Amino acid sequence: MDTVKMYTAFTKKAFMRSAAYRFDVWTRLVSNIIFLLMWMSIWFALYAGKEEASGISLTAMLTYVVVSQFLTAVNGAGTPLWELQEKVRTGDIALELMRPFDVPLRYLFADFGSVAFYMLTALVPLYVLLFFFVDLSLPTSWMTWILFIISGFLGFLIRYCIELTFGLFTFWLIETGGIEDIFYFSVSLLSGSVIPLWFFPGWLQTFATYLPFQGIYFIPNAIFIEEISGKDVFISIGIQFFWVAVSYTILRFVWRKASNKVIVQGG
Amino acid sequence: MTKIIEYVRLYFRLVGAGVRAQMQYRFAFIMRIVGMVAAYTGTAVTMWIMLYQFKELGKWNFYELLFLFALAVLSWGFCIILFFHFRSLDTYIVNGTFDRFLVRPINPFFHFMAMKFDIGAAGQFIFSILVFIWVSNAIDIHWQFGKILFLLGAIIGGILVQGGLLVFISAIAFWTTKSERFYWVVMYPARNLTNYPLAIYPKFVQWVTAFVVPFGFVNYFPAAVILDKDTPYFSSYIGYFTPLVGIVFFVIAYYVWMLGLSRYKSAGS
Repeated sequence: MDTVKMYTAFTKKAFMRSAAYRFDVWTRLVSNIIFLLMWMSIWFALYAGKEEASGISLTAMLTYVVVSQFLTAVNGAGTPLWELQEKVRTGDIALELMRPFDVPLRYLFADFGSVAFYMLTALVPLYVLLFFFVDLSLPTSWMTWILFIISGFLGFLIRYCIELTFGLFTFWLIETGGIEDIFYFSVSLLSGSVIPLWFFPGWLQTFATYLPFQGIYFIPNAIFIEEISGKDVFISIGIQFFWVAVSYTILRFVWRKASNKVIVQGG
Repeated sequence: MTKIIEYVRLYFRLVGAGVRAQMQYRFAFIMRIVGMVAAYTGTAVTMWIMLYQFKELGKWNFYELLFLFALAVLSWGFCIILFFHFRSLDTYIVNGTFDRFLVRPINPFFHFMAMKFDIGAAGQFIFSILVFIWVSNAIDIHWQFGKILFLLGAIIGGILVQGGLLVFISAIAFWTTKSERFYWVVMYPARNLTNYPLAIYPKFVQWVTAFVVPFGFVNYFPAAVILDKDTPYFSSYIGYFTPLVGIVFFVIAYYVWMLGLSRYKSAGS
């Protein structure tokens, strides 16, 4: 019980920290709105007046993009990766390793706090308004809402584990510049964050369904617009659970190796 | 005139030292270039997948889209070399290190500009030139003298528009001691916006990118002239104004920066 209390304390602290720097938090909204405008315009233009493509209606597709941008903002609200990498480079990470908490969990719980603040004060109001004024499709049953929230949360966990695992490679590599760009590009493409998997060329679609990234954006988005429905929803969420377990295990493994590395280097 | 030559010579002296310093970290340098090329290739791949089924985006096919994108990348490459560090003026002001640009007998704007020369921009040049060659072959763009001259004008205009905006953002720091943040939340997404033909955006956005923050002149208007595309709401000759728009915009930005400088009070001790 005390452990839970300790970690939720990080959540509370991060929430208050966001509140103190609310100007910085809200400016992020500007960038989110511009990207939202961009992707909505792109998909509107791609449909070029057609009502549907590959069985997906324009309304459903625009909803997909909006939900995706919402989740992108949620996923981007936590501690940025470079902050952690900077701690590794400067050696400040050693201070955190000395303390009686688990660093990956500590950052996860802190992220919950920053995300909560951003969602409550900026994202939810904006997106509620958007659904009010733009012709988008809302889920027809409350069950879909609940499943979407679960799926979105699992996606958040998958992204967190993968991104942090990747970030930990800083322990071994001094310069991650080039690899980092390729990593972020692969995630953004294969997660279906801007193009849903069903518009991919066949081979790439098959490839993407075997990877964890689809669990970050594609599955929750598709559940929201009810493109995945009925029994398939539970299968998809099962796949997400599977990837949370796998990516968490890998994260733990890499984390153990990485912290040993710090101890070996010492000083 | 002799003064200009003097400044050009001085510029290369100043940045030469920086370039030599960067070349010492050869691995980091190569990784940066690889990263840049990879990131831009990533966007190009995204465009390809996007058009795999749909074929056209607002009447632009894949090659035309790629050309539009590469044109923005090319002028951005020059911008990185000349002006990209302007966005972090806030750090210099807050740390009090900006003062050193004021105590030398040269123009502070020039001095700040010559402070950094990022050779990583080679990545932008490699990517955009390869794309130009590929696209020119694929859709038969004939590069006669006039067209090459037009392209040069478009590149210079594009550098000045984007550079001007960076100078504007930098100038905000004189009043608010914040600038870097504005780059990431406004200019970075706005640059992404212009990777796609402006014709797909709402009329209001197109109007702003033509007359307020003239991003449209970086690639959309000139590319429309070169590729002979329609620019709805705008005359098809608008692309020819690119160098002029660039010069006017940059001169305004420069004066705003100098105005900010005149009311700058050091934060140092």
